[in-house]
Parts: sequence; structure tokens; C-alpha cells
Amino acid sequence: MIWEVFRQEKTGGYHTHCGNVHAPDREMAKQFAAVQHGRRKPTNSLWVVPREEVGEIDGEDVTFGGTTDKSYRWATAYNTTGADAREVAESEDEQATAEKQRGDD
Amino acid sequence: MNIDTVKERAGPREFSPADELPREYREAATRMIEFHANSEIMGAYLERPFIRQAPSIDRKLAFSAKVQDEIGHGQLLYRAAESLGVKTREEMLDDLANGDGKFLNCFHYPMESWVETPMIAFFVDGAAMRRQATLRRTSWEPYAHAMDKVCFEEGFHVKHGEDILSELMSGSKKEQHMTQEAFEEWWPRIIQFFGPTDDKSTHHDFAASVGLKQQSNDDLRNAFLDQYIPKARKYGLEIPDEPRIRERDDGTYVVEEDDLNWDEFFTIAKNEFEPGLGQINGRKTAQEAVDWVRETIENDASAAGGHAPQAAD
Repeated sequence: MIWEVFRQEKTGGYHTHCGNVHAPDREMAKQFAAVQHGRRKPTNSLWVVPREEVGEIDGEDVTFGGTTDKSYRWATAYNTTGADAREVAESEDEQATAEKQRGDD
Repeated sequence: MNIDTVKERAGPREFSPADELPREYREAATRMIEFHANSEIMGAYLERPFIRQAPSIDRKLAFSAKVQDEIGHGQLLYRAAESLGVKTREEMLDDLANGDGKFLNCFHYPMESWVETPMIAFFVDGAAMRRQATLRRTSWEPYAHAMDKVCFEEGFHVKHGEDILSELMSGSKKEQHMTQEAFEEWWPRIIQFFGPTDDKSTHHDFAASVGLKQQSNDDLRNAFLDQYIPKARKYGLEIPDEPRIRERDDGTYVVEEDDLNWDEFFTIAKNEFEPGLGQINGRKTAQEAVDWVRETIENDASAAGGHAPQAAD
């Protein structure tokens, strides 16, 4: 049985997918995950999830967007005057980064 | 974990559903996040009619995207609240419909004209974002994670709201005049967004001591004024005489709290503000009207052989 493994680096962070392990049950999956994925990189917590419980949808099943111009959805589309609040500027930066990454695909 | 340990350990994103937390913490966090979730939903309902009234196709697209985002934020937050194990999502939504659910003061006031939209979309959202940015460091991890996504999206809302304000204030004399009037009406409510002063705040001390809340009402309000008074002036809005706002020597601002209508504020807080009942009931009617959609989805899911409830459930 295959178990997908998600690693959280430190308290409060996100559990992100880092690989999978082959194990007969949940207990063994946790042990294998700890050995294979929790050793070298900083780890606070691991999740193991049976692969067949993971639902997947991809670009062949659905259009994820990015083909229609939705520039009106981005802070970067609006030119305003004066200094923006710090958190607004941060959000705009994050959006600009996301927008750029979209172009890379 | 007992409450002393919670206070000792309290730090950004410190506690997750994996921790056993005292009821006191879970209840305080539920109250705070449920309020926040309800506010996202009620804000969306307040703004929704303006998708139809938007003066151009660009505004219509942006406005509907924004309203859609806010409903999404509500969904994220109900998840974060539900993970505390105090109230179910269903209970929170029902409470909102039957008038027990509490939400932000600003969303109790009816909104009638397009010139009012930047009061919410720029000023209230700007105030909300100021607060939300600090909540990325809250101690309940699912709440902090929800704030990451909310703040990511919210920058667009604020800038779009500002863009509407900028357009109105560079429009005709009549538009400028109407916008100024709307601003005068909304300004005191916007200042009250941050709640009562620290000494009158009922929940602040506990929420702060367990790391749920990161900044006091007064600090947040002042930080908001520092940022948004100059913005308002830049677009040609005149700051109303009341409430009186003092400029400190260092150029920052502080508001004269006694000039604000706290009776109205606390009536609103109890969901007893007459003009605001339309908002609550409108949302209730909308929820009932789409009941069949929820039922169809749920019946369909179990018919499709998902995790069908057992006969004994």
C-alpha cells in the first residue's frame, strides 16, 4: 500500500507533499515516513495519507484558468496615488509573483 | 494543556488541531473566528447588489470577483473555526441566519448608492486588512493559514476600492460632492471598525494573553488613521470635524473616542440595530432560497456512494 507523505518544517508551517512510502498499514507508514522523509530535512511533523484516498484533478479534466485575461483581479492592475499601507503593498507583491509564475508554465 | 501552559507557549501559529487545548482557549478562538467569518459573508451580501449597479463592464467584473473572494474567505474561516471543535459549520451558519451570529458593525448599515462602495471597498477593507495582516501571527495555526490566503487576495480589493474612490473624486462636481457626503456618513463607523477602546474591550486581555489577538484595538485604529487619513486627503476628501482627531507631534493621529456613538455601536453588537435587521434577514432569505441546492448536493454525494452515512448514524 502506498502512503503519500507531507512534511511540516516547523510549528505553524504548511504540510507540503514531499514523497511517499510503501507500507502495509498506518503505523508502519508513519515509521517509514519518519525514517525516509523526516531525517535529513528539518521536520516538525509528518502526515501520511493513503494514496487511494487522494482525489486528483488535472489540466485534462478541467481548465484551471490563466487563459482568460483576468487582470482586473490583480492589485497590480490599479494605479493609485500615494504610499500604500504596508500590508497592501505586500499583497500586491505576492500577487505580482504569482502572476509571473503563471507565465512560466 | 492547561491555560497557564497555553499562555506560556502562546506564539505565532503555535497551536494546531493536534494539540489538546483548554475549553477557554477554544471558545475564545471560536468567537473571534466565527465573528470574522460571519463578517466576510455579511460584507459580501452588502456589496452584492452593486455588481448589478456597476457603471462599467470592468467594474462589474472586478466587483463580482471581489464578492466571490469574500464568500470564499468566509468558507476558509468557518473551516478554521470548526477545527476548534466548539461549534459546527452548520451551527455557525444557522446562528447567522437566525440573528444570533455576530458580525462587523459596518456591515449592519444599509448601502444605497454607488458612491458608498469605496467606503467599504477601500476604507473598511483597508481597515480589515490592517487587522488581518497582524492575524497572520495568531496562535491558532488554521486561522493564520486562512489569513495567508485572505491577505494574498485582499490587496486587490483595497486597490480596486481606492481606484473607484479616485475615479469618483476626479469626476463631476456632483460626484465629488456625493462621495464626500457618503464619506461623512461612513467615517465614524469606519473608525469604530476596530471596536471599543482598550479599556472597554471585553475580550481583549484574554485573547491577547493566549496569542490569538496580536494588536490592541487602539493600536490598530491609530495605525489605520496614520495610513488612511493622508490617503483620504490625497483624493480630496475632507475629514469631518467629528469625531475630533488630534495630530500628534510626530505626524500620527489619535481619535477622540467620546465623539463616537458607542450606544449605537453596542446596539449593533447585540444585533438589535433596527436599520440593520434588513441585512440579517436578507441573508436568511437568501440562505433559505438556495436550500434545495445544498440538499441536492448532499443527497447526490451519498447516492454516488461517497462515505454514505450508516443506518445507525
